[in-house]
Amino acid sequence: MMQVNWFQILIDWVYGLIFWVYDVVNWIVGIILWVYNWVWGVIFWIWDLVFLNLDFLIKAILFPGLIFVVLALIYTVWFTRKMWGRIQMRRGPFHMGKFGGLQLFADAIKLISKEVIIPDGSRRWMYRILPSILLVIVLLPFAFIPWDATWYIADLSVSLVLVFAFLAAVPILALLIGWISGSKYSLIGGFRAANNQFAAEIPIIMSSVGPALLAGSLSLMAISGAQSSVWYVFLLPINFVTFLVSSVVAVGTFPFDAPVADSEIIFGWRTELSGVYFTLTYFAEFAEQMLYSALMVVLFFGGASGLPFLPGFVNFIIKFLIVMFFFIIVTSSFYRLRQDQITRYCWKYLLPLSMLNIILVLFGLAYIDGLAALVMGG
Amino acid sequence: MSPDILDEAIEIWFGPQHVSAHGWAAKLTLIGDYIVECDPHAGYFHRSAEKVLEFRNFRQGPLVMERLCMLESFLMEYPYVSAVEQIAGLEVPERARIMRTILMEASRIHSLQFWWGQFAAELGLFTMLLWPWVDREYFLDAFEELTGSRHAVSFNTPGGVKYDFTDKFLKKLDRALLRIEERLPKFKDMLLHGPTFRLRTKNVGLFSAEQGLRWGLSGPNIKACGVPMDLRKDKPDSNLAYDLADWEVPTVHNEEHPGQSDAYDRMVQRFLEVETSINIIRQLLPQIPEGPIIDPKARAKANRLPEGEAYGRVEGTRGITSLWLKTTEKAQTAYRAKIRGPCFASYYALKHLVPGSRFADFIVIFGSLDPYPGLWDR
Repeated sequence: MMQVNWFQILIDWVYGLIFWVYDVVNWIVGIILWVYNWVWGVIFWIWDLVFLNLDFLIKAILFPGLIFVVLALIYTVWFTRKMWGRIQMRRGPFHMGKFGGLQLFADAIKLISKEVIIPDGSRRWMYRILPSILLVIVLLPFAFIPWDATWYIADLSVSLVLVFAFLAAVPILALLIGWISGSKYSLIGGFRAANNQFAAEIPIIMSSVGPALLAGSLSLMAISGAQSSVWYVFLLPINFVTFLVSSVVAVGTFPFDAPVADSEIIFGWRTELSGVYFTLTYFAEFAEQMLYSALMVVLFFGGASGLPFLPGFVNFIIKFLIVMFFFIIVTSSFYRLRQDQITRYCWKYLLPLSMLNIILVLFGLAYIDGLAALVMGG
Repeated sequence: MSPDILDEAIEIWFGPQHVSAHGWAAKLTLIGDYIVECDPHAGYFHRSAEKVLEFRNFRQGPLVMERLCMLESFLMEYPYVSAVEQIAGLEVPERARIMRTILMEASRIHSLQFWWGQFAAELGLFTMLLWPWVDREYFLDAFEELTGSRHAVSFNTPGGVKYDFTDKFLKKLDRALLRIEERLPKFKDMLLHGPTFRLRTKNVGLFSAEQGLRWGLSGPNIKACGVPMDLRKDKPDSNLAYDLADWEVPTVHNEEHPGQSDAYDRMVQRFLEVETSINIIRQLLPQIPEGPIIDPKARAKANRLPEGEAYGRVEGTRGITSLWLKTTEKAQTAYRAKIRGPCFASYYALKHLVPGSRFADFIVIFGSLDPYPGLWDR
């Protein structure tokens, strides 16, 4: 008969239990350590992500990026309204805040909180989505504007072309909004917007060829950097004028506001928009004006160069406001042209002038010694 | 025109809820950008003034009349007052004659200032909307000083006028006249020599004098064709003092199309009208004699009129405004009053003028004829 050593079994069982408990504790500690390491890893990853790219994030969100552009947009509208008020012998906004500075915030809140009325004949989902796309497309090119040698978001070798690529979508969206609104006035306005772009796009791109040729680059950063010795507005004054006028045509504001002519077709392609959708298109128009003004500063006024004791972006903003003031003067002193007159004007006068400028620039670069060194030396 | 083309036509209602259509509507048929048919509709502004006149006594009547066209209230009162004076056989004192004439011409000036501001806004220049309206305020201030009201003046009354001139009023009137005399050359320069204004208005809405007379046009619209047709000269009214001043009927001669007028000529004509009015007022102001401003028996005589009928008329800002009044024996109110506003003719002239023009020119043609809804719907 086998003898059963109960004592030995008890000892083994207790040992086993202890090892088991030890392993379980090890396992739990392992899990905790793993979680701990994972959490720390994520935190470090975010830390790295944020702090190694902090520069870019601040630029993209805060200073030359979204928040700055939206605030600049609001104050550009305020500036425009105040200047229009001066020119038209009235006072402009003056109730909200100092000199009416908060008026645009009040307007935006009022417009956003208004009821949205979507017409029966419209395509509802397109009606809801197109105005936002319009504003986004107009705001995106601001990423390529070199406000300063350090304060810029992105610098591509073809940023000039890319900006025009974005802007080419604007009249298509205007035409679409006019088309899907389900109103005859909107439709006519949409076609007129397309006609405006048809008239203005070639002169405006031709006018930007001159600065690009002189600087030898399609990058906005390089073009603005190349003007440290002489601004291109002194070399290409006619080119600046053709760019200014055709940009007014492309934006479709006052002398060329056939797309939104209120005495003819109520509000053109924006007739049926209401509430927040109207706000988006209203701001998109001013954002486009701002964009063209910033482009003019970059192409013709030497970007950030200027008074040496000021930071570069302050120089840029001062010149930006001056160019914006040209815009305001033009938009408040001419009668509206008919759309066939707009096309004839752009194609008969602006297009040959801007082409002539390209030829002059080519001859100048080829035959004037020292010009290339002067403008490209940077 | 083949029926296939008409298949592509779209019909557009220009009004009654259009922003630049306050109280009128026209149905336009468009093929592409061209208007092929225009169908003006009256009746959106009807206030049954003729019926109301049958329930008002003869001193209340002018108040109804001036509400037909607030812009020329002094002129609008006159046909009714004149008809009552003819039936009652009232003589107007010399002082009241001259006072009436002065204020009617002042009313004409401020009505024209309002018109050219509005016309400029219809052409897309809001600066030019506000500049004349600032100057117009000076006239309104003067009217307020005289009658206590800026628009509904209630000045003319059968047998004379209600309020006497004060030194303060004369000072204010003089200030308003100085202001318009100083600013008129600037306005002429900005409107008539502006390149965009010429582009929009030259050869737009062209019609000949014969056509205009056939359609029943009068006033500046027909004078712009070179026909010196003016009630102030043709049929001098014994109760008005136009014979005391030395002046000529202003007309315009279109060199490109002799005997015809376009929107530009009508603008020139209205500037000439303002100059003539200033001339008349300047000549009449020193001639005001001392004396009563109203026939002492006028109140009693206008209370109950004998049986009769009379036709009162005046050369208004927009053309001949007239009223036919019929009374019964010992009448306290009119038996029947029929008002003929000048704008019914100019509104329905659109039917012949507009077809063949571009859609964008419709509002230019409409604005250049200066129709006022209150004068065609009564």
